[in-house]
Amino acid sequence: MSYGRIENHPILGPLPETRRVCFLFDGRPIEAREGESIAAALLANGIRTLRAHEEQGTPRGIYCNIGHCMECRITIEGVSGFRACLSLASDGLDVCSGIVLPTPFQPAKLREGDAYE
Amino acid sequence: MGNTPFIVCRCEEVTLEQIIEVIERYHCSSRETKLRTRAGMGICGGRTCRPLIDRLTGQMDAEKAAYSLPLKVQPPVRPISFGEWGRGS
Amino acid sequence: MIDRLDLIVIGAGPAGLSAAIASARCGLRVLVLDEFPRPGGRLLGQLHQEPDGFWWNGIKEAQQLVRQASENSVDIRTGVSVTALEQIGQTGWKIWTNRGPFSAKHVLIATGAAESACPLPGWTLPGVMSIGAAQVMTNVQRVRVGNRGVVVGMNVLSMAIVSELRLAGIELAAIVLPPKNPLNVRASDPGDVLRSLLRFAHLAPNALFRFGASFLGNSLMQRMALKLYPRRGIRMWNTPLQLRRSAVEIVGGSCVEGVRIADIDSEGVPIPGTERLIEADFVCIAGGLYPLAELAAVAGCPFRYAPELGGHVPAHDESMRTPLQGLYVAGNITGVESAKVAIAQGQVAGLSIAIDSGVPDSPTETELQTAMHRVKQMRRDALIQFDPDITACRNRMYGTNDAIG
Repeated sequence: MSYGRIENHPILGPLPETRRVCFLFDGRPIEAREGESIAAALLANGIRTLRAHEEQGTPRGIYCNIGHCMECRITIEGVSGFRACLSLASDGLDVCSGIVLPTPFQPAKLREGDAYE
Repeated sequence: MGNTPFIVCRCEEVTLEQIIEVIERYHCSSRETKLRTRAGMGICGGRTCRPLIDRLTGQMDAEKAAYSLPLKVQPPVRPISFGEWGRGS
Repeated sequence: MIDRLDLIVIGAGPAGLSAAIASARCGLRVLVLDEFPRPGGRLLGQLHQEPDGFWWNGIKEAQQLVRQASENSVDIRTGVSVTALEQIGQTGWKIWTNRGPFSAKHVLIATGAAESACPLPGWTLPGVMSIGAAQVMTNVQRVRVGNRGVVVGMNVLSMAIVSELRLAGIELAAIVLPPKNPLNVRASDPGDVLRSLLRFAHLAPNALFRFGASFLGNSLMQRMALKLYPRRGIRMWNTPLQLRRSAVEIVGGSCVEGVRIADIDSEGVPIPGTERLIEADFVCIAGGLYPLAELAAVAGCPFRYAPELGGHVPAHDESMRTPLQGLYVAGNITGVESAKVAIAQGQVAGLSIAIDSGVPDSPTETELQTAMHRVKQMRRDALIQFDPDITACRNRMYGTNDAIG
């Protein structure tokens, strides 16, 4: 599938030249335009799934693209909870998609007398 | 047709059916609906589904809602680490 | 570190930037915070042609405001998320952010609006996004949101953005109504939607409006218009606007593969046996806008419910003061309107704040009146009224009247 960029726009003109940067997404090198969001760079490279829902594991991508909906949460340099739509791509950045979390509090696994920690 | 269950609260994956069932059973306000279903309680702070929940509970909230938001807003309004939250307070 | 601030503006959109400029021109020390990487708010991405042929480009408008702000020593910081604010006695306000706290005597909340959704089965799949997301991706980030899309929801905002997507060469297979359910009552009613679209008939240059203009009269004519509306839609910007079809569900495994649609009756109910699948790799959800006022709620500001303005808005008067000392609002947080109205409101807020801070160069009451007058003019001249009753609603709220003079 080809997504890519809008190189020429009839009103906005040609896409300005910028430096290219390269970051890693789940270990895969992604080329980006300097100053663009990680969400934009990933979409331009055909990547739409940014995380799996923490409990159900359903795939999610960008939804609002301006920081409101929190759907595009990714992990950057080991720190989780960044919004891909607000985080800028930069050289060498290590980015990981959001993953399903273990659910320790499922009722069946709680025994009487278990303490919440 | 049109009866496929679907999600209203994307963060907590709460469906329309679940929300309507709770509203009908408990005849409840937006706040009580949120507490009972977790819809609107997720990481986005209800930014996506708050107006939807208000729409469903409109009747119950009508009087109070003229002067305040049906669902209370709690700080922080954006997720923040404990370290950052603690800074400067 | 900032020594002492007179004003913190939350939101670097049209209202926030223009307020910062107006108050900085009076000598106030102003800090503007915004969590988006670029200043401009939702000016960024707006692109339309004025009746005189001029292309109004939100990116350029934003650059102009940012330049004026810098010329007046306004400090604009992006990538800063405000998480809370609190009134500290008589001395002012404390703001918490992901970059530490800030304090100032005055705070302007100009956080704009957020998009409402019209949910349907499958709307959490990757490739489904709000229509505003597609606008930013297309015009600001210049990335193609997909190869072939379907827009769910017909309103002022979605029509404006559909034209922008087409301008950028993005293919749209159809614009359809959202499915009828308790969340999409009015947005799924073809009669209601047609009536709201006909209000833009004066923007004329296409088939819908030529079609619609002849039915503008009474409600009987409008009912006829719906009956005569072609099932396959009227093509606008080479995209069929299918007022008599609704989305049933978005289908796909790991991402969007298509949208199942159905013909609907005059109430918006799907007609059995008419379902078909439209292939698409992206879907835009267009449910309109509502004022994003969560920080005003945290501050303890009372609210007013005004459906004409998009929902709950912080209580405020025509000078953009809230009932809380030192707290102001401007722009779409006070009601969903065009960016030009937001800019004019920002100027009012900036002047009010300058007056209240008692700086030597304090503006006069006459200057403030003139600025408030300009808001009304902008509202009257706006190409797009998000709701036909905005002016009446504002007048009720402010205790003012229609006179523009």
